[in-house]
Amino acid sequence: MNDIFVAVLRRRLIYLAPDAPLDPDAALRSLGLDSMQAVDLVFDLEDELGVVLPDEAMNAATFATARNLWSAVSDAGASAGVRP
Amino acid sequence: MSTAVASPATLSGRTGHVVAAIREHAAAIDEAASFPIDSLQALRNSGLMGLLVPARYGGLGGDLHDLVAVAVELAGACLSTAMIWAMHCQQVAGIVAFGSPTLRERVLRQVAHGEVYIASVTTERGKGGHLLTADQAMDNFHVRRDAPIVTGGEYADGFLITMRDLPEAPPNAVSLVYAPRSALALQSNGSWNPMGMRGTHSVGLVLEGDIEPDAIVGPPGDFKTVAVTTFAPVGHIAWAACWLGAARGALRDVLRLLRSPADRGSLAPDSELLRHRVARVRMELDVMAALLARCLTDAADTERIEDIPVQLRLNALKVYVAEHSLQVVDTLIEVVGLRHGYLRDSPLRLERVFRDLRSASLNYANDRLLAANGGLALLDQGVNLAL
Repeated sequence: MNDIFVAVLRRRLIYLAPDAPLDPDAALRSLGLDSMQAVDLVFDLEDELGVVLPDEAMNAATFATARNLWSAVSDAGASAGVRP
Repeated sequence: MSTAVASPATLSGRTGHVVAAIREHAAAIDEAASFPIDSLQALRNSGLMGLLVPARYGGLGGDLHDLVAVAVELAGACLSTAMIWAMHCQQVAGIVAFGSPTLRERVLRQVAHGEVYIASVTTERGKGGHLLTADQAMDNFHVRRDAPIVTGGEYADGFLITMRDLPEAPPNAVSLVYAPRSALALQSNGSWNPMGMRGTHSVGLVLEGDIEPDAIVGPPGDFKTVAVTTFAPVGHIAWAACWLGAARGALRDVLRLLRSPADRGSLAPDSELLRHRVARVRMELDVMAALLARCLTDAADTERIEDIPVQLRLNALKVYVAEHSLQVVDTLIEVVGLRHGYLRDSPLRLERVFRDLRSASLNYANDRLLAANGGLALLDQGVNLAL
């Protein structure tokens, strides 16, 4: 997980204290990410990391944990030939 | 002969192949108001012209669920082509259900091979599309019919025609007859320069010729049975699938724009107004799809097809989807604004879909169906809903 990814994600995790570490396997929902914000998170990640997440990645599993989301971002970056 | 054998074996494979082909021609046929000959050829080659033809006649043996699945996809690419195909399927369903054995053997094999595209001749001057009466009568299997609107009439290989059964028969003794193009002298008497659905090339036509004695579809003089049990349910379901498919295609295109990193900045996809509009559009599509799914269940229950609550729903499907598919596209034009939504050369082509869908309420007029449903609704005091 690179720094930009973590920073973008943390903006949406209102229940995660600024000084607390981000556990890659913690449920993002319990940290404050709701389904209404998912699309805004996608827009931010795409804009700031220069990737486009595919339709196949738009499911609950992708947004369940930071690890899953990073995996989708990495795959999108790899298929676009950029390194997120 | 047929090239259907070369087509992909699955329904979605066949459909995907055709969608790519008809998308290519959609703008040109709209511009010229010309019949989509190349798109129809792609459909002929795909085997989909025989979707509803039973396998024993060489068809795909599909049902109305398959019809809906294909129509929705075709309409997302070109509503004119989708409606031409869907109305052909409606005619085929009539022959499958009510044709004589010899007529079925003769015609359905040609349909399955993509050789015969069947147009519908049900309009008369003065009565519009009113299905269950006819002024013009058959005399000893001789047909002379003056029809103000025949979709694809100049290009059809065969026609299903409503006629008064005999010269002395009352106006409601209507027969449905099949006539191959080769048996008819045709005179096209009208130009076609409409607002939308420009590819359907729906011209006025005078048809004259002699039909075979086995070509009466259903009981002579009792087209009402064919209409109530097959023509109307299949027609309403097929049209609704096409209109819903066009509206769904419009939302798909708009979502692609709203999601594209290059364009979304100018469209404010994070605004509450846009989110509400997109939510309403999606909600309408889900409601229409749910009503369509329910009507598929209704249409499969032939025992109850004439029940008042079922007739109410089948009519409501046509009226509701006609109104709301147009409304959906109207809202989407607001969402993306003038440049993407209103310009004729915008890649979204919302203005074409909007013009096309404006015809939906007029195509077998909503006003007439609402008058019928008003009467039926007053009869159903128990208000029996599909719950």
